[in-house]
Amino acid sequence: MIRFFLDILPELGAGLAVTLKLIVCSVPLGVLMGVIVAMSRTYGPRPVRFLAASYQSVFRGVPLLVQLFILYYTLPRFGLLLSPFAAAVAGFGLCSGAYHSEYIRSALLSIPTSQMEAAYALGMKKITAIRRVILPQALRRSLGGCGNEIVSLIKYSSLAYLVTLVDLTGAGKQIAYRSFRFFETFLIVGLIYLAMVAVTSSGLRALEFHLDPEHARPWPLARGTARPIRRSRKFASKEGHIES
Amino acid sequence: MTTADLLTALPGLMRGAGMTLLIVLIAIAGGIALGLPLGTLWSALPSRRLLRSLLWLFDRVFRGFPALVLLFLVYFGVGSIPGMRISPFAAVALALGLRSAAYQSQLFRAALEMVDKGQRDAAASLGLSGTATFIHILLPQALRFSLPGLANEYSVVLKDSALAFAVGVVELMSRGKFLSMATKDTATPYLLIAAMYWVLTQLGVTFFRQIEQRRRIPGLGTHASQSRANRGTQP
Repeated sequence: MIRFFLDILPELGAGLAVTLKLIVCSVPLGVLMGVIVAMSRTYGPRPVRFLAASYQSVFRGVPLLVQLFILYYTLPRFGLLLSPFAAAVAGFGLCSGAYHSEYIRSALLSIPTSQMEAAYALGMKKITAIRRVILPQALRRSLGGCGNEIVSLIKYSSLAYLVTLVDLTGAGKQIAYRSFRFFETFLIVGLIYLAMVAVTSSGLRALEFHLDPEHARPWPLARGTARPIRRSRKFASKEGHIES
Repeated sequence: MTTADLLTALPGLMRGAGMTLLIVLIAIAGGIALGLPLGTLWSALPSRRLLRSLLWLFDRVFRGFPALVLLFLVYFGVGSIPGMRISPFAAVALALGLRSAAYQSQLFRAALEMVDKGQRDAAASLGLSGTATFIHILLPQALRFSLPGLANEYSVVLKDSALAFAVGVVELMSRGKFLSMATKDTATPYLLIAAMYWVLTQLGVTFFRQIEQRRRIPGLGTHASQSRANRGTQP
């Protein structure tokens, strides 16, 4: 098993590089989409709100695989030819953006109205108040949900293989077909995904802890935070914040 | 693709949708059947027990592996064991069912923990046994709390069921792909099945909301939801 693992490591590594590239490109795209859509659905004029709501409904109601197929196979019919990588990044970004926007929107709505009134009382314009007062708090509150979404995007990045991109899953499948050792190969591939998920979710948990005003400490990690982080994990799992 | 093509293709797509719903039904039902006991164990077992570590392992594997990798692991992995054969449909049902069970066990655990602790004390003071407390007090409330999560789980499983296409189950996604190849049209079939999936999602979510409304007990809620209702929110 270990011998086998060492043998296939270079090929898996190449696939892993593609997967990581996919994730690194699509996560910021998703978060950006999420913020834009959440803001337009909460504060936009009526037609914009409607558009944002339809976007959420469509991209959350259709399987990601179908979305990828449409981006990759259907768009060329309308003159827009995307490479497999571009199609995958666009699909992941748009789909996870719809989920992010829902978390961010509910966070925006959870900030008490009195804060907006206080900002007006200080003479801020609406846009300044949202940017300086409401949004920073909302983003902090939505970190739990958005973190979950990022974690699930890591797992769903495996769908890129179905639009002909040889990512980690694709490399695994090629190895499995060549060596006929299906079980070991997919187990190793799954464990690599699991490792990525574990690292990301613990990183996000630490970030959530540090952005929590109650434990505010200068970034990067200040001294003596090791124990409180562990305590926060217990808290987080009980409250159902970041999971994997 | 012409209108005539569309009309001849429609029954096939409908059968595909039926297959998709069958997969979803099996996965969700299996998920509840396994997830409910597992969730109860999660909330009841003290930590540092062997069983607890086994639960943890199950949870890690089935929630931490991508659905596609899980599906390949079940389909090709079990199929490669000498003397074992598994049909694509069984592999999909097994993989999605176990995955759903892992997610639902967390859902039910959270729902059980949402029930106010005072109720447990009240049941004990009335002389109810542990089992009776669980069946008559905890479970009815926890099931209600878990309904929104269950609706969410339905939509997730429905969308994941499209992966069955990757191991050759003829459901909605594969029917769409076949149709696209047969008619040499890369637009209409995919947009059509996208619309069908969307409708299935909306129908399911509406269905769960109906159950939620019908089973609602006025005044039942958690402290969190009550305090949220009392606080003024935006905008």
